[in-house]
Amino acid sequence: MIRRAAMPGLSLAAGAVLLLAGCAGAPEKETATAESGDRFPVELVNCDHEVVVASTPERVVTLNQGATEVVLALGLGDRLVGTAYLDDAISDRWAQEYEQVPVLAAEYPTNEALLEAEPDLVYASYASAFDKGVAGDRTVLAGSGIQSYLSPFGCPDKSQRPAPTFDAVWQELDDVAELLGEPGTSKALVSEQKETLESIRDAAPGQGLTALWYDSGDKTPLVGGGQSGPQLILDAVGAENMFDDIERGWGEGSWEDVLATDPDVIVLADASWSSAEEKRAYLEKDPVLSELTAVKKGAFVTVAYSEATPGVRMVDGAASVASQLADLDLRP
Amino acid sequence: MSVARLAAGRAVVVVTLTAAALVASAAVALSLGSVDVPVARVLAVLLRRLGAGGEVTVLEDQLVWQLRLPRVMGAIAAGAVLALCGAVLQSLTRNDLADPFLLGVSSGATVGAVTIMVLGIGVGGLVASAAVSVAAFAGALAALAVVLVIASAGGRGLSPHRTVLAGVAVAYLCSAYTSVVVIMHGEGDAARRVLSWTLGSLAGLRWDSTLVLLGAALVALVWFFAYAERLDAFTFGEVSAQSLGVPVTSTRWVLMVGTAVVTATTVAYVGVIGFVGLVVPHLVRPLVGNRHRAVLLASAAGGSLLLMWADTAARSLVDRQEVPVGALTALLGAPVLVWLMARRPRA
Repeated sequence: MIRRAAMPGLSLAAGAVLLLAGCAGAPEKETATAESGDRFPVELVNCDHEVVVASTPERVVTLNQGATEVVLALGLGDRLVGTAYLDDAISDRWAQEYEQVPVLAAEYPTNEALLEAEPDLVYASYASAFDKGVAGDRTVLAGSGIQSYLSPFGCPDKSQRPAPTFDAVWQELDDVAELLGEPGTSKALVSEQKETLESIRDAAPGQGLTALWYDSGDKTPLVGGGQSGPQLILDAVGAENMFDDIERGWGEGSWEDVLATDPDVIVLADASWSSAEEKRAYLEKDPVLSELTAVKKGAFVTVAYSEATPGVRMVDGAASVASQLADLDLRP
Repeated sequence: MSVARLAAGRAVVVVTLTAAALVASAAVALSLGSVDVPVARVLAVLLRRLGAGGEVTVLEDQLVWQLRLPRVMGAIAAGAVLALCGAVLQSLTRNDLADPFLLGVSSGATVGAVTIMVLGIGVGGLVASAAVSVAAFAGALAALAVVLVIASAGGRGLSPHRTVLAGVAVAYLCSAYTSVVVIMHGEGDAARRVLSWTLGSLAGLRWDSTLVLLGAALVALVWFFAYAERLDAFTFGEVSAQSLGVPVTSTRWVLMVGTAVVTATTVAYVGVIGFVGLVVPHLVRPLVGNRHRAVLLASAAGGSLLLMWADTAARSLVDRQEVPVGALTALLGAPVLVWLMARRPRA
């Protein structure tokens, strides 16, 4: 991999020259004449927006943790010139590569901070990244030579979002790899993930168990429903989700239903705003909920929030839930 | 004299009827929830717990006695507190728009709650929900103190006018803090949690909190009832109250601080539930007359009934989803207020 350490210095110098040259029209965007090969131009339709990448994107900015992790997972971290907005923490797997990338802002960068990084491609997980104050409208960006890709799960028009499945996650990986001119990277990653998933399904450590996926909240619990990451992970390990009839990824459950069902195992989502520890303490302290079989037995499984949302880490989430279930050995 | 006796008789009837409705509807409310428990089983659970024996399942007991009863009793207590405080403050300030949150209690409590929920500052060893309650209570008292200092500055006593204005100023200040914290530091579902807290909820009440609420309701009832005759005097204005021998300033201090403290206790556990304190006193006065013994009793009973039903609707209208109880009390309360305004010129 060629490091482009000289690039920022060069463009700074170029900028200085332009400044010294005094007022003029809008400067022409440097057209990369690099070795595009026959992989470019890449054209694809993403959330009803036409993405046309004419040559290898070398200056990629990712917004939101999910997008950042996809690029790192593809092993293309050296293309990143900036990143912003973590939900919790980058997976240990890619922490080292991540540290090489400048963080533009803790949350969303301002429009100026983003442009300062001189991206040729902006890749985000949520539509909010293309709000006015942040990256701005995608068509406007394209007009100034910046292409963009939005995770299909984040399409502003809900009808264009794919059903959250592992296949849809892998499709996004393929898209991004293709846009970056390295389609081989996603093929390898996807087949590795497929294998892991297959072995989890074969072992089925959750077979015959009913699970409560406890995301957050105490007065009424926010629980994993039947339509997203929690359901996919529970399906993979062979467990039954007691709230699979909630027709959303997450939804409000009811403690009454939890008492009536008395689940075998409780999956605790671990997020910075609602830690697994906090939820476990709450369950153990509450006079009624502490009577649940799973609470008395300590049948808890912890999963990081970002491993439970549809994305490149979901397979890791499934693997982690699977190994914890195997350790608990609850199967009837 | 006979008019007074007639009004008193009517007050007794109204209070008795409301109380009866409360008991009857509590039984129905206890049978409603996401798991079905027939009214007969509800009664069986209650009777067994009260020592009459009988067989019930563990689940039935958990649902009825440990989850639903604290919530229903909590609604009854909180409703009574809010309506009582509303009645007292409306008379004390002679302001029809006075409600229990007049003195900045709700906005101060929100500051405390938001600080815990969004900034995640812990309160020594407490679980998150208890820490929110403690912080909300502390915030409410702090706001109250600021309002009282502003209102009484310059040694001119606690004039209703200045108190209301001070309350408004503090409320704006607090809401500025709240917005800034939520926008700048909110992660994940922070905004949603704050919004749902400010709309109030009786979800998750357990016996420990409910006993505190019941205590607050009892204290409020007994305490304010003792001031009923002085409040009667206030109805005719400050000057007449003074001429009737009522120590105006001290009465005002005691009642303003008193209502704020019991309201703060309620808010700490159930958040800010609007409209009950504003509307119920207006609703009962045409029924029981203007004597405060009757107004206070009827307000307490009416507030309990309103909040209990609003909460029952909140948890059973939509399957597995709590409707914010504050939205429901407003939904019920706003038309009533409009109706009262409409008939006002004739009164």
